[in-house]
Amino acid sequence: MPDRKRRSELPWVIKYRPKRVDDVVDQDQAKRVLVPWLREWAAGRPPSKRAALLYGPPGVGKTSLVEAAASELGFELVELNASDYRRAEDIRRIVGSAASKRPLWGRGIIILLDEIDGISAREDAGGLAALLEIIPRTANPIVMTANDPWKEQLRPLRDACLMVEFKRLTSGQIIGILQRICELEGLFCEKDALKYIADRSEGDLRAAINDLEAVAGGYGKVTLGIVKEVVRGRDKSMELWKALSEVFYARYSWQAKRAITNSEEDYESMMAWINDNIPRKYSNVEDYFRAYDALARASLFLSRARYIDWSMLSYVFDLMGPGVAFARKHPHAKQRYSYPERIKLLARMRSVREVRERVAEKLASRLLTSRATVKNEVIPILTIIFREAPSPVEAARLALGYSLSEDEVRFLAGPRSQEVLKAIERIRKSRASGAGAEEVEARRERPRGQLTLFGEPAGQRRSRASRRRKAGGRRGQRTLF
Amino acid sequence: MSSAFDILWVEKYRPRSLDDIVNQEEIVRRLKQFVRERNMPHLLFAGPPGTGKTTAAHALARDLYGDNYRQYFLELNASDERGINVIREKVKEFARSRTPPGVPFKIVLLDEADNMTADAQQALRRLMELYTASTRFILIANYPSKIIDPIQSRCAFFRFTPLKKEDVVERLRFIADNEGVEYDIDALETIYEISEGDMRRAINVLQAAAALGKVSVEAVFKVVGMARPREVREMIKTALSGDFAAARELLRKLMIEYGLSGSDVVRQIHREIFGGELKLPEEARVLIADYLGEIHFRLVEGSDDDIQLSAFLAWLAMLGKKLGV
Repeated sequence: MPDRKRRSELPWVIKYRPKRVDDVVDQDQAKRVLVPWLREWAAGRPPSKRAALLYGPPGVGKTSLVEAAASELGFELVELNASDYRRAEDIRRIVGSAASKRPLWGRGIIILLDEIDGISAREDAGGLAALLEIIPRTANPIVMTANDPWKEQLRPLRDACLMVEFKRLTSGQIIGILQRICELEGLFCEKDALKYIADRSEGDLRAAINDLEAVAGGYGKVTLGIVKEVVRGRDKSMELWKALSEVFYARYSWQAKRAITNSEEDYESMMAWINDNIPRKYSNVEDYFRAYDALARASLFLSRARYIDWSMLSYVFDLMGPGVAFARKHPHAKQRYSYPERIKLLARMRSVREVRERVAEKLASRLLTSRATVKNEVIPILTIIFREAPSPVEAARLALGYSLSEDEVRFLAGPRSQEVLKAIERIRKSRASGAGAEEVEARRERPRGQLTLFGEPAGQRRSRASRRRKAGGRRGQRTLF
Repeated sequence: MSSAFDILWVEKYRPRSLDDIVNQEEIVRRLKQFVRERNMPHLLFAGPPGTGKTTAAHALARDLYGDNYRQYFLELNASDERGINVIREKVKEFARSRTPPGVPFKIVLLDEADNMTADAQQALRRLMELYTASTRFILIANYPSKIIDPIQSRCAFFRFTPLKKEDVVERLRFIADNEGVEYDIDALETIYEISEGDMRRAINVLQAAAALGKVSVEAVFKVVGMARPREVREMIKTALSGDFAAARELLRKLMIEYGLSGSDVVRQIHREIFGGELKLPEEARVLIADYLGEIHFRLVEGSDDDIQLSAFLAWLAMLGKKLGV
């Protein structure tokens, strides 16, 4: 089927994008507001509100409707990506120039800014202000989209815009679209499978089409069994993002608890996510404390569950869900969710700890003390010698004395690793080339009481070494330990 | 620069034989008696860190068995071994091994025995009885009161006392001269003050200070300051000032760059609480210690260190706000 192959080069969300306003599923209310507003522009009569804010859940047709309307009404669409309008100067440069373009030969421009709610009040404050300056003066319609337009920092923007609401799609509507795509693609599909995809998408048509394509692309047919297998893993971070929002924005405790218990993510990762995002979503020190206190107690109950009795697990959920949710007495902070640092850094942390543990073990047996003592008392001393001493030579000699490996040296020397490693290399070379070798041997067999080895003029070295060797010989073969 | 290799001075200058131990005279005298008689009871060495307990045990074993004493000497550390079962297995195997010529017993050294729970100590007591024909135990503890009575009553008790100032300074001077290190005598006295009679610590500080150059009073204080990651104090201060996010950055730095575990961080914080570097109302120090203890306990119970310490920092931030620090 060469035909099918060629067609399938485009992602389905683009391939089956609506071409005309009528093709856009549902959203009649939005169409009734947006289309006449655009017609005014097209007719050369800029309406009083010169920007429109399209809002609603993801994947319900906000961008699609703008695109369809643009092509139907003869506008050119200038799309700007979320990351393009972060700073004031970028806004002025990009949006400002598009806004002041006069339409030639009647063909106007629609400036489309996607996901405007991604703008952060603090980091992008200038960007938002620049946008508000441009809107009243624009010669072309500015259309923005947002999932959540009710954020505090968007208030001035709401006042300046025509607000256009988009509704969540029903499962039935989504099934209808999926079925049509299957027909056009000549794809075998089970109705149950489509229903499963539709239900899971929670009204997000784009996600549903992506899921359908993922299944069809991999298996060539759409059955419930395959769908369950494939769809479960889709975009975990999205799932998490939702679950987190359900915790941080819960209005009832059952919501917060359900977010935890229904999450596909295991509760430990969920804890890590909450742990890192509390300061991004809460704004007040007391809220932090209450939230962390609840989370810390959740973690405590988790260890109790694990080591004592699994029935303790329900308290884990109570505390990390509702406990965190109702710790908040002050307004939310508005930072974006972040991927847990901890998980990112865990591998690095683990390897550093391993190295530290190895160093401790090596030294503990030589110093006749516990690994804990080495870690707390000796490693800090070594760190000073390795990092702060004016010369790396002493560090290098200790590294050789304890046969430290390269990563162990790096752990102790940190920023000075290169210097110390080079010094070790130098010593090794000079040792191999003669003078040092017998010396080392002598030191190994050195009896106690004969310790005056250091800080003497190099000229005396050889004779002293041989003297020591003799002394060592007299006392016989000694192991020092 | 006279040699390729070097070892830490604490290792290099450790007394190898009872004859080399210059202080703890009474103890040394009794131990030498055991060597002469080729017999001894179980021993309990108690006293503060760095007073020569472990060193004395090794020296005793060397004097009994000779230079290859280690084959007749099982060294265990209660805080490093994973539980009494591991200890039991190791002792069992060791008891079966070859007996030394001329001495009717082998020695099991159990360091940090006071870190064992009372239950584990009961098991240890049975172990001591079971193998008493072929082995002697030397138990080492910082706090003898944490050793259960039935064990105490089975052991000859040796109390090690903090080393005297003259002894420590004299030893430091000997090492410094030997190593050709330049030093001020004041600095050696300062090292004694700081290390509170702990010889291991004193020698370590001397070596680090010497690595920086001349051993002066300033160098000694510099070393002591550097030996604790300054991020710990900075982290506490930052949290108290209300900047939770920045404090947590520091926490992560400690855990990642220094490889510290949660309980290491707790221990480091604990050292700082009562230090003069933190300007705090005295009663606040007690509050912090109390809450830190709770966090420590939770870590011991196995809960997540990053979360528990984050909670601690958030609590500090709130405390700082209340106190107006």
